[in-house]
Amino acid sequence: MPLTGVTLARRELALADIETFYDVMRSQGITRRSFMKYCSLTASALGLGPAFVPQIAHAMETKPRTPVIWVHGLECTCCSESFIRSAHPLAKDVVLSMISLDYDDTLMAAAGHAAEAAMMETIEKYKGQYILAVEGNPPLNEDGMFCISGGKPFVEKLKMAAKDAKAVISWGACASYGCVQAAKPNPTQATPVHKVITDKPIIKVPGCPPIAEVMTGVITYMLTFDRMPELDRQGRPAMFYGQRIHDKCYRRPHFDAGQFVEEWDDDGARKGYCLYKMGCKGPTTYNACSTIRWNEGVSFPIQSGHGCIGCSEDGFWDQGTFYDRVTDLTQFGVEANADQIGFAAAGVVGAGVAAHAAVSALKSAQNKAQKKPTPTNEEA
Amino acid sequence: MNTRNLLVGPFNRVEGDLEIRLEVEEGKVTSAYANSPMYRGFEPMMLGKAPIDALTITPRICGICSISQSSAAAAALGSAAGLAPAPQGALVAAIMHGIENVCDHLTHFNLFFCADFARPAYAGRDWHDRAVTRFTAMEGSAVRSCIEARAQLLHIVGLLGGKWPHTLAIQPGGVTRAPTVRDRIRMSSTLAAFRRYLETVLFGAPVEAFAALSTAEAITGWSRGDAGLFMEIASDLRLSETGQGPGRYLSFGAYPLPEGRSFGPGVWENGTLSPMDTDRIREDLSHAWMLGDDAHPRQGQTTPDEDMRDPAYSWCKAPRMAGQTMETGAFARQVVDGHPAALDLAVDGSNVLARVAGRLLEVARTQMMMEEWVAQIRPEASFMDDVPVPREGQGEGLVEAARGSLGHWIRIEAGKIASYQIIAPTTWNFSPRDAHGTPGPVEAALVGAEVGAEEDTPLSVQHIVRSFDPCMVCTVH
Repeated sequence: MPLTGVTLARRELALADIETFYDVMRSQGITRRSFMKYCSLTASALGLGPAFVPQIAHAMETKPRTPVIWVHGLECTCCSESFIRSAHPLAKDVVLSMISLDYDDTLMAAAGHAAEAAMMETIEKYKGQYILAVEGNPPLNEDGMFCISGGKPFVEKLKMAAKDAKAVISWGACASYGCVQAAKPNPTQATPVHKVITDKPIIKVPGCPPIAEVMTGVITYMLTFDRMPELDRQGRPAMFYGQRIHDKCYRRPHFDAGQFVEEWDDDGARKGYCLYKMGCKGPTTYNACSTIRWNEGVSFPIQSGHGCIGCSEDGFWDQGTFYDRVTDLTQFGVEANADQIGFAAAGVVGAGVAAHAAVSALKSAQNKAQKKPTPTNEEA
Repeated sequence: MNTRNLLVGPFNRVEGDLEIRLEVEEGKVTSAYANSPMYRGFEPMMLGKAPIDALTITPRICGICSISQSSAAAAALGSAAGLAPAPQGALVAAIMHGIENVCDHLTHFNLFFCADFARPAYAGRDWHDRAVTRFTAMEGSAVRSCIEARAQLLHIVGLLGGKWPHTLAIQPGGVTRAPTVRDRIRMSSTLAAFRRYLETVLFGAPVEAFAALSTAEAITGWSRGDAGLFMEIASDLRLSETGQGPGRYLSFGAYPLPEGRSFGPGVWENGTLSPMDTDRIREDLSHAWMLGDDAHPRQGQTTPDEDMRDPAYSWCKAPRMAGQTMETGAFARQVVDGHPAALDLAVDGSNVLARVAGRLLEVARTQMMMEEWVAQIRPEASFMDDVPVPREGQGEGLVEAARGSLGHWIRIEAGKIASYQIIAPTTWNFSPRDAHGTPGPVEAALVGAEVGAEEDTPLSVQHIVRSFDPCMVCTVH
């Protein structure tokens, strides 16, 4: 990926002592052949086509790896669980070694104060260059005392770690929207990250949890192109959240034909009919479950005979029971807006791919995000 | 007198947040206080919701044991309805649950627990180089092969449940997906591949050989695979002499199938097994930042004390069975089930080694059970019976998560949830003191742990705490 002279010089000065992605991979014993395979896998996962393979390879050979700090607030660790099960074994290995999770409190070796010190060291060393990945969210009630990490409310740790970050990734529904712990009456006032961190580019990767390949795809994109992927109006990467589950659902023909499962394990269920009447939220949910699928592409909830619960949408936890039909959703009107968002997002992806040789693309993505209107769900 | 206080935490490589305060005299821990510093309020937020929403919300307490939570919620609803799931549905649910439990044991062994043996503090020990190669956090060869093997095994949950974590397929009446003949073949081959991993990497021998070990000596003397490396390390570090548990073991019994629970239920103490009587459970709130009276979970409430008054020091309630602390987990389950090697180990009480051995035994035994379950699948049978949730009623859902006994108690009034209480495995193991001042199991297990003069995060404490495989996000929910 050609960087402009200015950007490159700055990075070389600042990051001269950090090895490149390719160095890191080599030290993990990954062969050149596997490396090239990984590059093409990445290109296709990102929807970029074979022409981009050499560019990805070049970027990985020449660019210093990006340090990542991964912190956990109010959460259940399902995002980490999902992340470590990414599809291609090599992809997972490469991404794990590539981002080197300089600080991750679930997986790292150090403990206690040493662990906290490691985080401070990473922040100091890579000031302004690291990506902060946040799993979970801060509870703000009672001065944040419902989530204490290292003797301090998590919200303080979050703010401190975000201060010198280049960008923030909000993993999952918790960090992006609040998720179930924010369900009425939201006992701890669990608050999504973007309400607390307001001065950094934030990319939301919602889902409970997000699909592993979406997580590795987002992170690889950011590392490879040194910028955020194009976001939809809710701040989600359009390449993965640009279409509804319903649009690509393999049961869609049954919906169109009016063939529905009426009750669990009935004849329609055995025939794989549409789950709309069982409360499926696929028609209003933007995510890649019906294309990328889960657990290394094996299946996804609808394929297991259970409707989608819409876990990548804001407020999915407070829409009445999960088994109500979508017509009962208070925000069914979102469908019209949702289609518009879909069109907008598709346009932006194309434009983004063509234009990413610009100055600091990360910055321009940030500007774009800021110019976009506020997310529709917050208006609702 | 050489006295000091230590605050150990945050603990990494445990699920969730944990902080432990230690009082140390003459290089030994004299008392310990376990603080679960994260509270989300799942119990209050369930109130007023539709009962079936428990199936979607409660699994999100934990991304590691979400099938356990999901099974407990389904069982509680089924119990309120007074109906059992379709037998084949129960079988499929057992397969999914067994897989999750085995995966959790593998994660614990490879990612969370053994990484401590790669620490520089152990450099120079005979086994240290091998431990570094195998178990170094995030990089060790055992860590990588474990992640890979787990991911492959979880294909079965993907196939049956659509996704993992946070699978939705388990319902009070059974499961939403009727597996086909093709699915059955695919599951068998996935299990066969997993067996190869266990037999070449973890045990270095047929799983039957490990499961058939019948004495403590046979287990501790095991020399093959990573299990053998652990036993060598455990013997050198005398892990069987640290982290003594209460000697009382609790298990609700794992995998409810029409013919009974595959690992039997009960309470075991001093060689005597008593039947499970959940009416004798009380949650003591004396040292928890929770308001209200001590209560059975049917009457329990969850009202956080926002003033965080003394002498409380944790969000965790203190569950007691007939007034006593209980240890729960894989070792407890194997003792209660009467596995001869576990019973032999239990003669000396539970300890760091015994807890890990219990998990290894269980991995071997569960692999064998899962292979049988898959063979019993009859694609033409019904996988979901109609189990309507009543508008009024109460139910109790008892399951065994990887880390031990998990109970959900629900009361339904006018079609809405009027009360929902959960006691998770680590709530038992990491409970704070009760009104009598009796410490919880891990607090008691830490007493006597050696603390080097230079140590701020004592290794012995790390081993003991992690030997319980705490799941802090489940503990306080």
